[in-house]
Amino acid sequence: MKKKKMVISQETMDVDFVRKVEMLSDTSVRRCFQCGKCSAGCPMATFMEHPPNRVVRLLQLGQWQRILAGRSIWYCASCETCSTRCPNKVHLASIMDALRKLSWDAEGASKESYVQLANKLFLQNIRSYGRQYEMRLAAVFNVKSGQFLKDLMLGPKLFAKGKLKMFHSKNKNMAEIEKIFSRIDDMRKNGEAL
Amino acid sequence: MSRIGVFVCHCGENISRTVDVERVAAHAATLPGVACATEYKYMCSDPGQTLLKKAISEQRLTHVVVAACSPRMHERTFRKAVEGAGLNPYLCEMANIREHCSWVHEDREEATAKACDIVGMMVERTKKNRVLPAITVPVTKRSLVIGGGIAGIQAALDIADAGHEVVLVEREPSIGGHMAQLSETFPTLDCSQCIMTPKMVDVANHPKITLYTYSEIELVEGYIGNFQVTVRKRARSVNERTCTGCGVCMTKCPQKKIPNKFDQNIGMRTAIYVPFPQAVPNTPVIDRENCTKFKTGKCGVCQKVCGPGAVDFEQQDTLIVEAVGAIVVATGFDLYSISEKPKGSPIKGYGEFGHGKIPDVIDGMTFERLASASGPTGGKIVRPSDGREPKQIVFIQCIGSRAREKGISYCSKVCCMYTAKHTMLYHHKVHDGQAYVFFMDARTPGKSYDEFWRRSIEEEEAVYIRGMVSRLYQKGDKIVVMGSDIAVGVQVEIEADMVVLATAVQPQQGADLLAQKLGISYDKYNFYSEAHAKLRPVECATAGIFLAGACQGPKDIPETVSQASAAAAKVMTLFSKDRLEREPIVARVREAGCVGCFACKKVCAYGAVEEKEIRDRQGNLLRVVASVNPGVCAGCGTCQATCPSKCVELDGYTDEQIVAMIEAL
Repeated sequence: MKKKKMVISQETMDVDFVRKVEMLSDTSVRRCFQCGKCSAGCPMATFMEHPPNRVVRLLQLGQWQRILAGRSIWYCASCETCSTRCPNKVHLASIMDALRKLSWDAEGASKESYVQLANKLFLQNIRSYGRQYEMRLAAVFNVKSGQFLKDLMLGPKLFAKGKLKMFHSKNKNMAEIEKIFSRIDDMRKNGEAL
Repeated sequence: MSRIGVFVCHCGENISRTVDVERVAAHAATLPGVACATEYKYMCSDPGQTLLKKAISEQRLTHVVVAACSPRMHERTFRKAVEGAGLNPYLCEMANIREHCSWVHEDREEATAKACDIVGMMVERTKKNRVLPAITVPVTKRSLVIGGGIAGIQAALDIADAGHEVVLVEREPSIGGHMAQLSETFPTLDCSQCIMTPKMVDVANHPKITLYTYSEIELVEGYIGNFQVTVRKRARSVNERTCTGCGVCMTKCPQKKIPNKFDQNIGMRTAIYVPFPQAVPNTPVIDRENCTKFKTGKCGVCQKVCGPGAVDFEQQDTLIVEAVGAIVVATGFDLYSISEKPKGSPIKGYGEFGHGKIPDVIDGMTFERLASASGPTGGKIVRPSDGREPKQIVFIQCIGSRAREKGISYCSKVCCMYTAKHTMLYHHKVHDGQAYVFFMDARTPGKSYDEFWRRSIEEEEAVYIRGMVSRLYQKGDKIVVMGSDIAVGVQVEIEADMVVLATAVQPQQGADLLAQKLGISYDKYNFYSEAHAKLRPVECATAGIFLAGACQGPKDIPETVSQASAAAAKVMTLFSKDRLEREPIVARVREAGCVGCFACKKVCAYGAVEEKEIRDRQGNLLRVVASVNPGVCAGCGTCQATCPSKCVELDGYTDEQIVAMIEAL
């Protein structure tokens, strides 16, 4: 991957986004002095293009696009080793959580990871049926992610154990569930929720 | 017959690792004249010294040889121990089997044999040592302090408060030094002027302090307790006694566009000037190079308007001789210039930063003047080029420092902290601006220092970027700074309005020349050398001369003040006695054989050889012979080597002793 030169100015440093991250995670990215202890103990760091310390560094420079374009936040296992060991009380696991939340609406978020797609489909199912309909989740996920045969051979096994149902069942109180979802939609519209 | 005791030290493992100390002791015991020989792990420790003292009394020893480290390290320690046991201290000698043997050899056999030889030689030499009475010299209880910055001021005030007279010599027209130039000081952000100027006033008003400003050291003669110092008081062209400091002369002077060095050349001054309004003394100086009167002979406006008639164009430099007993050197520092390298200097400039030719690329001290309420902009931070407020400001640390290629490998120590301070001052004054700092390491050891640096980032919103700047160039009215962020691993580009370079701390120009006048040593950067890095950090190797402040190495204000007070304490210790004891290892002239050629007088670097007339009882002059002033003699032995008739000898190093040492091999 060619690394793009970083032009730093008050315009390119998105302070508002960083403030949002800090608010959501209840931690300060400015406290980090780049000791690298978070990355040293991270079990997933080897899979990330931006190891945890660099995620914080990029936030300090307001360069969130670089973080969300990568897969680092999706590889984070939320084991909280980083937060436990940080000498400056930077709660990195919360920052990762916050970034995952913010990536929902952010432009240019990673296409490499399908976690977000899975999350979206999961919630769609809940909204439609009031509970999970695994068959549809798997099928739509495979189609939308373009991996038609993914985990296909698991199907029969799950059938045999009764974990996968051919037809969906529906919750009785769909009206209540729809209320929850539309309320969240309204809150998101009004900027009261993410 | 002498009864010599030989004491072999292991020095922990330093000696015993390569030298078989037991064998050396056993060998020493067999030497003629040796009464006892023993070894111990740390001879310099309390049990070691007790062992030595006990042996002296029990074995009735007449001489002592300690085979251990260099005499520079512990000769004094052991001589004191020997004196404590009732023996003349100069009957104790050290055989250096550490620096001269164990540290420089690997082969145990060879090193042990060499150690035996060294001990054998010292035994032979010590046998011929004679009892030397201590030499005492009188002490002049006045002190000279060179340099009127915070170091010199602190040292002068401390010594003067103890009741001793002080002569304070400053090269510039006012005391105050670099500290007077600063706006605010880390880590408390108190204003420099507020804590500095009262001290300057104290110096001016102190009855025990004689202040010579606009003056330089011309010549230093003498020795500890008895220096004669010639001070050149440069012609000020204004009579200090009659001048009232009203300042009319300065307002009327037609030459108004002379860059003021005190304001880092961004502010202007007149030809007759005081460097800054709070100057001490508040007596103007005429800068003869730029004065119309001195250039063309016409003008003289200042003289006409001066009420008390203090302006004196005829004034000449005067030489003043002061007798002092101790000297405190506090000449301070200068900043590395990023412009073209100065002539004859091994230090290189910075081509990649435009050699200082971009007007809005300034150094840290210039930023101080911009931020200072008493500065040329009245404390407004603006660009020197167009007077606009910079909205994006870049600070770059380690300019010159830690750059071996540029000629300086040391860390300047204060830049990390003052850059952090600068970002705060900037943030306080330009609320909508953004400060960026390129740095390699943030070095903030010191009380409340790291917290201060973190505050600049966490609360004052400075963006620190770890990585250096490779180039900066002018683009329109912006300065493009090309650097890297090594934490992210990308190149970084910032379009800045102003760039501040944290340039390296260097000794004052001419520091080497002053050191030569004083006879003190200095390192390759011209920083003055202390006698011992850890145990004698404020003393020079030359007795009676002490160091304070950044002339010894980069230092911040608290450290400078501590060292200045420490130097003052050393001076007071010196002045606490009426007479000083000196090493009696001096040259003696055998007058009967002296032919009066005075070859010794010519070679003596200390001026210790005098001419002495020998007269008979009737007062008729018989001969003129050489005589050594034991108070001045430093015991170097040059006269002994020069004397054609072998009539000068250095106690402890006589020809007889040297020959005996060679014979012992």
